[in-house]
Amino acid sequence: MASLRDSALRKIQTIGPRFLPFADVATEAVPLSRLLRLSLFQVTVGMALVLLVGTLNRVMIVELGVPATLVGVMIALPLVFAPFRALIGYKSDTHRSALGWRRVPYIWRGTMLQFGGFAVMPFALLVLSGYDQAADAPIWIGHSAAALAFLLVGAGIHTVQTVGLALATDLVGVEEQPKVVGLMYVMLLLGMIGAALIFGWLLEPYTPGRLIQVVQGAAVITVALNLIALWKQEPRDRARAANVQTQPEFRDAWRLFVQGRSAVGLLVVIALGTMGFGMADVVLEPYGGQVLNMAVGATTRLTAVLAAGGLLGFAIASRVLLNGVAPVQVAWWGTLIGLPAFALIIAAGPLEVVTLFVIGTGLAGLGAGLFGHGTLTATMRAAPRAQVGLALGAWGAVQATAAGIAVGLGGVIRDVIAALPAAPSMRPEAPYTPVFALELAFLIATVAVLVALRHREAGLFQTTHYHQRQGRPERPTAYIDPQPRERRPTGEEPHDDSRLTAL
Amino acid sequence: MSNDPDKVWPTGLTLKEAEEVHSYLIDGTRVFGAIALLAHVLVAVSTPWLG
Repeated sequence: MASLRDSALRKIQTIGPRFLPFADVATEAVPLSRLLRLSLFQVTVGMALVLLVGTLNRVMIVELGVPATLVGVMIALPLVFAPFRALIGYKSDTHRSALGWRRVPYIWRGTMLQFGGFAVMPFALLVLSGYDQAADAPIWIGHSAAALAFLLVGAGIHTVQTVGLALATDLVGVEEQPKVVGLMYVMLLLGMIGAALIFGWLLEPYTPGRLIQVVQGAAVITVALNLIALWKQEPRDRARAANVQTQPEFRDAWRLFVQGRSAVGLLVVIALGTMGFGMADVVLEPYGGQVLNMAVGATTRLTAVLAAGGLLGFAIASRVLLNGVAPVQVAWWGTLIGLPAFALIIAAGPLEVVTLFVIGTGLAGLGAGLFGHGTLTATMRAAPRAQVGLALGAWGAVQATAAGIAVGLGGVIRDVIAALPAAPSMRPEAPYTPVFALELAFLIATVAVLVALRHREAGLFQTTHYHQRQGRPERPTAYIDPQPRERRPTGEEPHDDSRLTAL
Repeated sequence: MSNDPDKVWPTGLTLKEAEEVHSYLIDGTRVFGAIALLAHVLVAVSTPWLG
Protein backbone atom coordinates (compact mmCIF):
# COMPACT_ATOMS: atom_id res chain seq x y z
CA MET A 1 0.00 0.00 0.00
CA ALA A 2 2.81 2.33 0.98
CA SER A 3 4.70 1.67 -2.24
CA LEU A 4 1.57 2.36 -4.27
CA ARG A 5 1.21 5.64 -2.49
CA ASP A 6 4.84 6.49 -3.05
CA SER A 7 4.73 5.78 -6.73
CA ALA A 8 1.52 7.77 -7.10
CA LEU A 9 3.13 10.70 -5.33
CA ARG A 10 6.21 10.43 -7.51
CA LYS A 11 3.97 10.50 -10.57
CA ILE A 12 2.30 13.65 -9.35
CA GLN A 13 5.66 15.20 -8.67
CA THR A 14 6.70 14.85 -12.30
CA ILE A 15 3.68 16.88 -13.29
CA GLY A 16 5.09 19.83 -11.42
CA PRO A 17 4.07 23.39 -12.04
CA ARG A 18 3.38 22.74 -15.69
CA PHE A 19 -0.30 22.77 -14.83
CA LEU A 20 -0.30 25.95 -12.84
CA PRO A 21 -1.61 29.06 -14.46
CA PHE A 22 1.42 31.31 -14.29
CA ALA A 23 4.40 31.94 -16.47
CA ASP A 24 7.48 30.92 -14.53
CA VAL A 25 9.85 33.52 -15.82
CA ALA A 26 9.30 36.87 -17.40
CA THR A 27 10.50 36.17 -20.89
CA GLU A 28 12.22 38.94 -22.75
CA ALA A 29 10.27 38.74 -25.98
CA VAL A 30 6.67 37.61 -25.92
CA PRO A 31 5.92 35.73 -29.13
CA LEU A 32 3.03 36.83 -31.30
CA SER A 33 1.17 33.57 -30.71
CA ARG A 34 1.05 34.32 -26.99
CA LEU A 35 -0.20 37.86 -27.60
CA LEU A 36 -2.78 36.47 -29.98
CA ARG A 37 -3.93 34.11 -27.23
CA LEU A 38 -4.08 36.96 -24.72
CA SER A 39 -6.17 39.03 -27.10
CA LEU A 40 -8.96 36.43 -26.86
CA PHE A 41 -10.31 38.36 -23.87
CA GLN A 42 -11.22 41.11 -26.30
CA VAL A 43 -13.29 38.59 -28.27
CA THR A 44 -15.37 37.90 -25.15
CA VAL A 45 -15.74 41.63 -24.50
CA GLY A 46 -16.87 42.19 -28.08
CA MET A 47 -19.27 39.28 -27.82
CA ALA A 48 -20.74 40.63 -24.58
CA LEU A 49 -21.16 44.12 -26.07
CA VAL A 50 -22.97 42.77 -29.12
CA LEU A 51 -25.17 40.58 -26.97
CA LEU A 52 -26.18 43.50 -24.75
CA VAL A 53 -26.49 46.32 -27.22
CA GLY A 54 -27.51 44.41 -30.33
CA THR A 55 -28.99 40.96 -29.89
CA LEU A 56 -30.73 41.20 -26.51
CA ASN A 57 -31.88 44.75 -27.28
CA ARG A 58 -33.81 43.38 -30.24
CA VAL A 59 -34.98 40.19 -28.53
CA MET A 60 -36.30 42.07 -25.50
CA ILE A 61 -38.28 44.54 -27.60
CA VAL A 62 -39.47 42.33 -30.46
CA GLU A 63 -39.77 38.81 -29.07
CA LEU A 64 -40.26 39.43 -25.35
CA GLY A 65 -42.37 42.58 -25.71
CA VAL A 66 -40.59 44.51 -22.95
CA PRO A 67 -41.27 48.28 -23.16
CA ALA A 68 -38.52 50.05 -25.14
CA THR A 69 -37.82 52.55 -22.35
CA LEU A 70 -37.21 49.76 -19.84
CA VAL A 71 -34.91 48.05 -22.35
CA GLY A 72 -33.04 51.30 -22.85
CA VAL A 73 -32.54 51.69 -19.09
CA MET A 74 -31.34 48.08 -18.71
CA ILE A 75 -28.85 48.41 -21.56
CA ALA A 76 -27.54 51.69 -20.18
CA LEU A 77 -26.95 50.16 -16.72
CA PRO A 78 -23.47 48.71 -17.45
CA LEU A 79 -22.38 52.26 -18.26
CA VAL A 80 -22.76 53.09 -14.57
CA PHE A 81 -19.56 51.16 -13.89
CA ALA A 82 -17.49 52.75 -16.66
CA PRO A 83 -15.98 55.54 -14.50
CA PHE A 84 -14.87 52.89 -11.99
CA ARG A 85 -12.41 51.54 -14.54
CA ALA A 86 -9.80 53.98 -13.26
CA LEU A 87 -10.30 52.60 -9.75
CA ILE A 88 -10.13 49.00 -10.98
CA GLY A 89 -6.92 49.77 -12.81
CA TYR A 90 -5.45 51.40 -9.72
CA LYS A 91 -6.49 48.43 -7.58
CA SER A 92 -4.73 46.03 -9.93
CA ASP A 93 -1.60 48.21 -9.92
CA THR A 94 -1.40 48.02 -6.16
CA HIS A 95 -2.75 44.50 -5.68
CA ARG A 96 -1.03 42.45 -2.99
CA SER A 97 -0.58 38.83 -3.81
CA ALA A 98 1.61 36.03 -2.53
CA LEU A 99 2.32 35.14 -6.13
CA GLY A 100 3.25 38.67 -7.08
CA TRP A 101 0.31 38.76 -9.43
CA ARG A 102 -1.41 42.02 -10.20
CA ARG A 103 -3.58 41.39 -13.25
CA VAL A 104 -4.73 37.78 -13.24
CA PRO A 105 -6.83 37.99 -10.05
CA TYR A 106 -8.83 40.88 -11.49
CA ILE A 107 -9.29 39.39 -14.92
CA TRP A 108 -10.45 36.18 -13.25
CA ARG A 109 -12.95 38.01 -11.05
CA GLY A 110 -14.16 40.04 -13.99
CA THR A 111 -14.63 36.84 -15.94
CA MET A 112 -16.68 35.35 -13.09
CA LEU A 113 -18.88 38.47 -13.00
CA GLN A 114 -19.42 38.35 -16.74
CA PHE A 115 -20.15 34.63 -16.59
CA GLY A 116 -22.54 35.05 -13.68
CA GLY A 117 -24.42 37.85 -15.39
CA PHE A 118 -24.92 35.87 -18.57
CA ALA A 119 -25.82 32.71 -16.65
CA VAL A 120 -28.82 34.30 -14.95
CA MET A 121 -29.68 36.76 -17.72
CA PRO A 122 -32.01 34.61 -19.86
CA PHE A 123 -34.10 33.61 -16.84
CA ALA A 124 -34.15 37.19 -15.62
CA LEU A 125 -35.34 38.36 -19.04
CA LEU A 126 -38.02 35.67 -19.21
CA VAL A 127 -39.29 36.66 -15.75
CA LEU A 128 -39.11 40.32 -16.77
CA SER A 129 -41.28 39.66 -19.82
CA GLY A 130 -43.83 37.75 -17.72
CA TYR A 131 -43.16 34.42 -19.40
CA ASP A 132 -45.46 31.56 -18.33
CA GLN A 133 -46.26 31.87 -14.61
CA ALA A 134 -43.87 34.74 -14.06
CA ALA A 135 -46.78 37.00 -14.99
CA ASP A 136 -48.24 36.29 -11.52
CA ALA A 137 -44.98 37.06 -9.72
CA PRO A 138 -44.36 40.52 -8.28
CA ILE A 139 -42.93 42.80 -10.96
CA TRP A 140 -39.91 43.82 -8.88
CA ILE A 141 -38.42 40.32 -9.15
CA GLY A 142 -38.05 40.60 -12.91
CA HIS A 143 -36.83 44.17 -12.76
CA SER A 144 -34.20 43.63 -10.09
CA ALA A 145 -33.00 40.31 -11.50
CA ALA A 146 -32.56 41.74 -15.00
CA ALA A 147 -30.87 44.85 -13.62
CA LEU A 148 -28.53 42.67 -11.57
CA ALA A 149 -27.67 40.54 -14.59
CA PHE A 150 -26.88 43.58 -16.72
CA LEU A 151 -24.85 45.16 -13.93
CA LEU A 152 -22.84 41.97 -13.43
CA VAL A 153 -22.03 41.71 -17.12
CA GLY A 154 -21.14 45.40 -17.26
CA ALA A 155 -18.84 45.21 -14.26
CA GLY A 156 -17.25 42.11 -15.78
CA ILE A 157 -16.63 43.75 -19.16
CA HIS A 158 -15.09 46.84 -17.60
CA THR A 159 -12.82 44.82 -15.31
CA VAL A 160 -11.68 42.32 -17.91
CA GLN A 161 -10.94 44.92 -20.55
CA THR A 162 -9.15 47.38 -18.28
CA VAL A 163 -6.94 44.87 -16.53
CA GLY A 164 -6.47 42.78 -19.67
CA LEU A 165 -5.10 45.79 -21.54
CA ALA A 166 -2.88 46.57 -18.55
CA LEU A 167 -1.51 43.02 -18.65
CA ALA A 168 -0.83 43.33 -22.37
CA THR A 169 1.02 46.59 -21.72
CA ASP A 170 3.05 44.91 -18.97
CA LEU A 171 4.10 42.12 -21.27
CA VAL A 172 5.51 44.02 -24.23
CA GLY A 173 8.14 46.66 -24.77
CA VAL A 174 7.38 50.16 -25.96
CA GLU A 175 8.14 49.60 -29.62
CA GLU A 176 5.79 46.63 -29.75
CA GLN A 177 2.85 48.43 -28.19
CA PRO A 178 1.34 49.57 -31.51
CA LYS A 179 1.23 45.95 -32.61
CA VAL A 180 -0.57 44.95 -29.41
CA VAL A 181 -3.06 47.80 -29.63
CA GLY A 182 -3.83 46.90 -33.24
CA LEU A 183 -4.27 43.28 -32.26
CA MET A 184 -6.60 44.18 -29.39
CA TYR A 185 -8.79 46.42 -31.55
CA VAL A 186 -8.96 43.90 -34.38
CA MET A 187 -9.92 41.10 -31.98
CA LEU A 188 -12.61 43.28 -30.41
CA LEU A 189 -14.01 44.06 -33.84
CA LEU A 190 -13.81 40.42 -34.96
CA GLY A 191 -15.50 39.32 -31.74
CA MET A 192 -18.31 41.78 -32.33
CA ILE A 193 -18.81 40.89 -35.99
CA GLY A 194 -18.59 37.15 -35.37
CA ALA A 195 -20.92 37.31 -32.38
CA ALA A 196 -23.48 39.42 -34.27
CA LEU A 197 -23.58 36.95 -37.16
CA ILE A 198 -23.60 33.81 -34.99
CA PHE A 199 -26.19 35.06 -32.49
CA GLY A 200 -28.43 36.27 -35.31
CA TRP A 201 -28.21 32.87 -36.96
CA LEU A 202 -28.72 30.87 -33.73
CA LEU A 203 -31.77 32.84 -32.59
CA GLU A 204 -33.63 32.19 -35.82
CA PRO A 205 -36.29 30.90 -35.15
CA TYR A 206 -36.63 32.30 -31.67
CA THR A 207 -37.84 30.16 -28.77
CA PRO A 208 -37.40 30.83 -25.05
CA GLY A 209 -35.32 27.65 -24.81
CA ARG A 210 -33.06 28.85 -27.60
CA LEU A 211 -32.57 32.19 -25.83
CA ILE A 212 -31.43 30.35 -22.68
CA GLN A 213 -29.06 28.16 -24.69
CA VAL A 214 -27.53 31.04 -26.59
CA VAL A 215 -26.98 33.39 -23.64
CA GLN A 216 -25.69 30.66 -21.34
CA GLY A 217 -23.52 29.40 -24.17
CA ALA A 218 -22.05 32.88 -24.34
CA ALA A 219 -21.39 32.65 -20.58
CA VAL A 220 -19.47 29.39 -20.97
CA ILE A 221 -17.54 30.69 -23.98
CA THR A 222 -16.58 33.75 -21.92
CA VAL A 223 -15.00 31.63 -19.19
CA ALA A 224 -13.36 29.26 -21.66
CA LEU A 225 -11.80 31.96 -23.84
CA ASN A 226 -10.65 34.04 -20.89
CA LEU A 227 -9.04 31.01 -19.26
CA ILE A 228 -7.19 30.24 -22.49
CA ALA A 229 -6.22 33.89 -22.79
CA LEU A 230 -4.90 34.12 -19.23
CA TRP A 231 -3.08 30.81 -18.94
CA LYS A 232 0.61 31.29 -18.13
CA GLN A 233 0.61 34.93 -19.19
CA GLU A 234 1.52 36.84 -16.08
CA PRO A 235 4.80 35.79 -14.51
CA ARG A 236 5.05 34.86 -10.86
CA ASP A 237 7.06 37.52 -9.11
CA ARG A 238 8.48 36.61 -5.72
CA ALA A 239 10.36 39.89 -5.49
CA ARG A 240 7.15 41.85 -5.81
CA ALA A 241 5.34 39.57 -3.38
CA ALA A 242 8.10 39.98 -0.79
CA ASN A 243 8.28 43.71 -1.34
CA VAL A 244 5.45 44.70 0.96
CA GLN A 245 5.34 48.44 1.04
CA THR A 246 2.70 50.99 1.69
CA GLN A 247 0.83 51.73 -1.47
CA PRO A 248 -0.41 55.24 -2.20
CA GLU A 249 -4.06 56.04 -1.81
CA PHE A 250 -6.12 56.29 -4.97
CA ARG A 251 -6.26 60.06 -4.64
CA ASP A 252 -2.46 60.35 -4.48
CA ALA A 253 -1.97 57.89 -7.31
CA TRP A 254 -4.44 59.85 -9.40
CA ARG A 255 -2.71 63.14 -8.62
CA LEU A 256 0.61 61.63 -9.67
CA PHE A 257 -1.00 60.36 -12.85
CA VAL A 258 -2.57 63.65 -13.92
CA GLN A 259 0.74 65.41 -13.33
CA GLY A 260 2.11 63.32 -16.17
CA ARG A 261 2.81 64.87 -19.51
CA SER A 262 -0.49 65.88 -21.11
CA ALA A 263 -2.41 63.14 -19.28
CA VAL A 264 -5.49 65.31 -18.86
CA GLY A 265 -5.22 66.83 -22.32
CA LEU A 266 -5.10 63.36 -23.80
CA LEU A 267 -8.18 62.29 -21.83
CA VAL A 268 -10.09 65.36 -23.09
CA VAL A 269 -9.10 64.49 -26.65
CA ILE A 270 -10.27 60.90 -26.14
CA ALA A 271 -13.62 62.04 -24.73
CA LEU A 272 -14.33 64.56 -27.50
CA GLY A 273 -13.10 62.35 -30.33
CA THR A 274 -14.99 59.29 -29.10
CA MET A 275 -18.18 61.36 -28.89
CA GLY A 276 -17.49 62.66 -32.39
CA PHE A 277 -16.99 59.27 -33.96
CA GLY A 278 -19.37 57.26 -31.79
CA MET A 279 -22.67 59.03 -32.29
CA ALA A 280 -23.16 57.79 -35.83
CA ASP A 281 -23.19 54.10 -34.90
CA VAL A 282 -26.92 53.79 -34.35
CA VAL A 283 -28.16 56.39 -36.84
CA LEU A 284 -26.14 55.45 -39.94
CA GLU A 285 -28.35 52.51 -40.91
CA PRO A 286 -31.72 54.25 -40.50
CA TYR A 287 -30.29 57.29 -42.31
CA GLY A 288 -29.38 55.09 -45.26
CA GLY A 289 -32.77 53.40 -45.19
CA GLN A 290 -35.10 56.35 -44.61
CA VAL A 291 -33.28 59.20 -46.34
CA LEU A 292 -31.36 57.49 -49.12
CA ASN A 293 -33.89 54.67 -49.61
CA MET A 294 -31.30 51.94 -49.33
CA ALA A 295 -32.63 48.37 -48.98
CA VAL A 296 -32.20 46.45 -45.71
CA GLY A 297 -29.35 44.33 -47.11
CA ALA A 298 -27.59 47.48 -48.32
CA THR A 299 -27.77 49.16 -44.92
CA THR A 300 -26.31 46.02 -43.32
CA ARG A 301 -23.45 46.21 -45.78
CA LEU A 302 -23.02 49.79 -44.61
CA THR A 303 -21.97 48.45 -41.21
CA ALA A 304 -19.50 46.24 -43.04
CA VAL A 305 -18.09 49.32 -44.83
CA LEU A 306 -17.72 51.08 -41.48
CA ALA A 307 -15.95 48.05 -39.97
CA ALA A 308 -13.70 47.66 -43.02
CA GLY A 309 -12.72 51.32 -42.71
CA GLY A 310 -11.92 50.71 -39.06
CA LEU A 311 -9.78 47.64 -39.83
CA LEU A 312 -7.88 49.60 -42.48
CA GLY A 313 -7.36 52.37 -39.93
CA PHE A 314 -5.94 49.91 -37.37
CA ALA A 315 -3.64 48.39 -40.00
CA ILE A 316 -2.33 51.76 -41.17
CA ALA A 317 -1.93 52.99 -37.59
CA SER A 318 0.02 49.86 -36.56
CA ARG A 319 2.31 50.24 -39.55
CA VAL A 320 3.15 53.92 -39.19
CA LEU A 321 3.46 53.69 -35.40
CA LEU A 322 5.94 50.84 -35.72
CA ASN A 323 7.91 53.19 -37.99
CA GLY A 324 8.10 55.65 -35.14
CA VAL A 325 5.35 58.15 -35.93
CA ALA A 326 3.99 59.65 -32.71
CA PRO A 327 0.64 58.15 -31.62
CA VAL A 328 -0.91 61.57 -31.10
CA GLN A 329 0.01 62.39 -34.69
CA VAL A 330 -1.95 59.33 -35.85
CA ALA A 331 -4.94 60.39 -33.75
CA TRP A 332 -4.64 63.83 -35.35
CA TRP A 333 -4.84 62.32 -38.84
CA GLY A 334 -7.83 60.28 -37.78
CA THR A 335 -9.67 63.36 -36.56
CA LEU A 336 -8.84 65.25 -39.76
CA ILE A 337 -10.21 62.38 -41.85
CA GLY A 338 -13.38 62.41 -39.75
CA LEU A 339 -14.18 66.00 -40.75
CA PRO A 340 -14.72 65.42 -44.50
CA ALA A 341 -16.30 62.05 -43.69
CA PHE A 342 -19.22 63.56 -41.79
CA ALA A 343 -19.44 66.48 -44.23
CA LEU A 344 -19.92 63.91 -47.02
CA ILE A 345 -22.55 62.05 -44.98
CA ILE A 346 -24.47 65.28 -44.33
CA ALA A 347 -24.26 66.29 -47.98
CA ALA A 348 -25.38 62.88 -49.22
CA GLY A 349 -28.91 63.35 -47.82
CA PRO A 350 -30.08 66.45 -49.66
CA LEU A 351 -28.12 65.50 -52.80
CA GLU A 352 -29.47 61.93 -52.60
CA VAL A 353 -26.19 60.40 -53.72
CA VAL A 354 -25.65 57.01 -52.11
CA THR A 355 -22.01 56.83 -53.25
CA LEU A 356 -21.13 59.95 -51.24
CA PHE A 357 -22.75 58.41 -48.19
CA VAL A 358 -20.87 55.11 -48.54
CA ILE A 359 -17.55 56.92 -49.05
CA GLY A 360 -18.29 59.09 -46.03
CA THR A 361 -19.08 56.03 -43.92
CA GLY A 362 -15.86 54.29 -44.96
CA LEU A 363 -13.86 57.42 -44.17
CA ALA A 364 -15.58 57.73 -40.79
CA GLY A 365 -14.54 54.14 -40.02
CA LEU A 366 -10.99 54.84 -41.16
CA GLY A 367 -10.79 58.01 -39.07
CA ALA A 368 -12.23 56.26 -36.02
CA GLY A 369 -9.73 53.42 -36.44
CA LEU A 370 -6.76 55.77 -36.65
CA PHE A 371 -8.06 57.87 -33.78
CA GLY A 372 -8.77 54.92 -31.49
CA HIS A 373 -5.45 53.23 -32.17
CA GLY A 374 -3.48 56.45 -31.82
CA THR A 375 -5.06 57.49 -28.54
CA LEU A 376 -4.80 54.04 -26.92
CA THR A 377 -1.16 53.69 -27.96
CA ALA A 378 -0.47 57.19 -26.65
CA THR A 379 -2.09 56.22 -23.33
CA MET A 380 0.00 53.05 -23.06
CA ARG A 381 3.17 54.88 -23.92
CA ALA A 382 2.54 57.73 -21.52
CA ALA A 383 1.70 55.40 -18.64
CA PRO A 384 4.40 55.17 -15.99
CA ARG A 385 5.26 51.49 -15.60
CA ALA A 386 3.89 51.38 -12.06
CA GLN A 387 0.63 53.03 -13.10
CA VAL A 388 -0.23 51.10 -16.23
CA GLY A 389 -3.53 49.89 -14.78
CA LEU A 390 -4.57 53.33 -13.63
CA ALA A 391 -3.67 54.90 -16.99
CA LEU A 392 -5.58 52.30 -18.99
CA GLY A 393 -8.43 52.50 -16.50
CA ALA A 394 -8.65 56.23 -17.07
CA TRP A 395 -8.58 55.66 -20.83
CA GLY A 396 -11.32 53.05 -20.57
CA ALA A 397 -13.44 55.13 -18.21
CA VAL A 398 -13.36 58.13 -20.53
CA GLN A 399 -13.70 56.10 -23.71
CA ALA A 400 -16.54 53.83 -22.53
CA THR A 401 -18.48 56.67 -20.92
CA ALA A 402 -18.10 58.90 -23.97
CA ALA A 403 -19.08 56.11 -26.36
CA GLY A 404 -22.13 55.21 -24.27
CA ILE A 405 -23.29 58.81 -23.98
CA ALA A 406 -22.65 59.39 -27.69
CA VAL A 407 -24.73 56.41 -28.81
CA GLY A 408 -27.54 57.34 -26.43
CA LEU A 409 -27.44 61.01 -27.40
CA GLY A 410 -27.44 60.20 -31.13
CA GLY A 411 -30.53 58.06 -30.78
CA VAL A 412 -32.34 60.50 -28.50
CA ILE A 413 -31.71 63.54 -30.75
CA ARG A 414 -33.03 61.67 -33.75
CA ASP A 415 -36.10 60.37 -31.93
CA VAL A 416 -36.95 63.74 -30.38
CA ILE A 417 -36.79 65.58 -33.69
CA ALA A 418 -38.70 62.81 -35.47
CA ALA A 419 -41.41 63.05 -32.80
CA LEU A 420 -41.88 66.82 -33.18
CA PRO A 421 -45.38 67.83 -34.33
CA ALA A 422 -43.84 69.51 -37.36
CA ALA A 423 -41.90 66.36 -38.27
CA PRO A 424 -44.12 65.12 -41.12
CA SER A 425 -43.60 68.34 -43.06
CA MET A 426 -39.81 68.27 -42.61
CA ARG A 427 -37.37 66.84 -45.09
CA PRO A 428 -36.52 63.19 -44.36
CA GLU A 429 -32.93 64.01 -43.35
CA ALA A 430 -34.07 66.61 -40.78
CA PRO A 431 -33.80 64.27 -37.74
CA TYR A 432 -30.35 63.06 -38.82
CA THR A 433 -28.49 66.18 -39.93
CA PRO A 434 -28.25 67.65 -36.39
CA VAL A 435 -26.68 64.38 -35.15
CA PHE A 436 -24.01 64.39 -37.84
CA ALA A 437 -23.48 68.13 -37.42
CA LEU A 438 -22.95 67.60 -33.70
CA GLU A 439 -20.38 64.90 -34.47
CA LEU A 440 -18.64 67.36 -36.75
CA ALA A 441 -18.67 69.91 -33.92
CA PHE A 442 -17.13 67.40 -31.51
CA LEU A 443 -14.42 66.56 -34.03
CA ILE A 444 -13.65 70.25 -34.55
CA ALA A 445 -13.37 70.60 -30.76
CA THR A 446 -10.99 67.60 -30.78
CA VAL A 447 -8.87 69.29 -33.43
CA ALA A 448 -8.81 72.46 -31.33
CA VAL A 449 -7.62 70.59 -28.22
CA LEU A 450 -5.01 68.73 -30.27
CA VAL A 451 -3.73 72.02 -31.68
CA ALA A 452 -3.51 73.42 -28.16
CA LEU A 453 -1.62 70.30 -27.03
CA ARG A 454 0.75 70.59 -29.97
CA HIS A 455 1.32 74.22 -29.13
CA ARG A 456 2.17 73.35 -25.54
CA GLU A 457 4.13 70.17 -26.10
CA ALA A 458 5.64 69.98 -29.54
CA GLY A 459 7.45 66.77 -28.61
CA LEU A 460 4.10 65.02 -28.43
CA PHE A 461 3.90 65.00 -32.21
CA GLN A 462 7.51 64.17 -33.00
CA THR A 463 8.43 61.11 -34.96
CA THR A 464 10.83 58.79 -33.20
CA HIS A 465 13.45 56.83 -35.05
CA TYR A 466 14.31 53.58 -33.42
CA HIS A 467 17.90 53.63 -34.56
CA GLN A 468 19.14 51.10 -32.15
CA ARG A 469 16.79 48.46 -30.95
CA GLN A 470 15.82 49.28 -27.42
CA GLY A 471 15.62 46.81 -24.65
CA ARG A 472 12.54 46.23 -22.63
CA PRO A 473 11.78 49.07 -20.32
CA GLU A 474 12.88 48.00 -16.89
CA ARG A 475 10.27 46.42 -14.71
CA PRO A 476 9.24 48.51 -11.79
CA THR A 477 10.32 47.08 -8.48
CA ALA A 478 9.09 49.95 -6.40
CA TYR A 479 5.90 51.87 -6.79
CA ILE A 480 7.66 55.13 -7.44
CA ASP A 481 10.70 55.09 -9.68
CA PRO A 482 13.74 56.78 -8.19
CA GLN A 483 13.29 59.37 -10.88
CA PRO A 484 9.73 59.26 -12.09
CA ARG A 485 9.33 60.46 -15.61
CA GLU A 486 6.74 63.02 -14.78
CA ARG A 487 8.93 64.65 -12.21
CA ARG A 488 11.89 65.10 -14.47
CA PRO A 489 12.39 68.76 -15.22
CA THR A 490 11.21 69.35 -18.75
CA GLY A 491 13.83 70.40 -21.21
CA GLU A 492 16.49 68.30 -19.54
CA GLU A 493 15.18 64.97 -20.65
CA PRO A 494 17.85 62.40 -21.22
CA HIS A 495 18.32 61.64 -24.87
CA ASP A 496 18.47 57.93 -24.42
CA ASP A 497 14.94 57.75 -23.04
CA SER A 498 13.13 57.47 -26.32
CA ARG A 499 9.90 56.82 -24.50
CA LEU A 500 9.76 60.50 -23.76
CA THR A 501 10.36 61.69 -27.26
CA ALA A 502 8.11 58.99 -28.61
CA LEU A 503 5.23 60.28 -26.60
CA MET B 1 10.50 15.09 -1.81
CA SER B 2 10.87 18.55 -0.49
CA ASN B 3 12.50 19.10 2.86
CA ASP B 4 11.67 22.77 3.06
CA PRO B 5 8.75 23.01 5.50
CA ASP B 6 7.60 26.18 3.82
CA LYS B 7 7.38 24.60 0.38
CA VAL B 8 4.44 22.62 -0.88
CA TRP B 9 5.52 20.03 -3.35
CA PRO B 10 5.19 18.93 -6.13
CA THR B 11 4.80 22.47 -7.36
CA GLY B 12 7.53 24.13 -5.32
CA LEU B 13 5.16 26.88 -4.32
CA THR B 14 5.39 28.31 -0.85
CA LEU B 15 2.50 27.66 1.49
CA LYS B 16 1.16 31.18 1.00
CA GLU B 17 1.33 30.91 -2.75
CA ALA B 18 -0.44 27.59 -2.74
CA GLU B 19 -3.13 28.99 -0.48
CA GLU B 20 -3.64 31.87 -2.85
CA VAL B 21 -4.04 29.62 -5.87
CA HIS B 22 -6.50 27.59 -3.84
CA SER B 23 -8.44 30.68 -2.83
CA TYR B 24 -9.24 31.44 -6.47
CA LEU B 25 -10.77 28.00 -6.79
CA ILE B 26 -12.79 28.47 -3.59
CA ASP B 27 -14.00 31.93 -4.60
CA GLY B 28 -14.93 30.67 -8.02
CA THR B 29 -16.96 27.85 -6.49
CA ARG B 30 -18.77 30.24 -4.16
CA VAL B 31 -19.67 32.63 -6.97
CA PHE B 32 -20.75 29.71 -9.11
CA GLY B 33 -22.96 28.44 -6.29
CA ALA B 34 -24.58 31.83 -5.72
CA ILE B 35 -25.24 32.24 -9.43
CA ALA B 36 -26.76 28.77 -9.69
CA LEU B 37 -29.01 29.48 -6.69
CA LEU B 38 -30.24 32.74 -8.21
CA ALA B 39 -30.82 31.09 -11.59
CA HIS B 40 -32.87 28.33 -9.93
CA VAL B 41 -35.01 30.86 -8.08
CA LEU B 42 -35.72 32.72 -11.32
CA VAL B 43 -36.59 29.52 -13.18
CA ALA B 44 -38.90 28.54 -10.32
CA VAL B 45 -40.68 31.88 -10.61
CA SER B 46 -41.47 31.45 -14.31
CA THR B 47 -41.93 27.68 -14.51
CA PRO B 48 -42.44 26.26 -11.00
CA TRP B 49 -41.60 22.62 -10.47
CA LEU B 50 -42.55 20.24 -7.65
CA GLY B 51 -46.15 21.39 -7.53
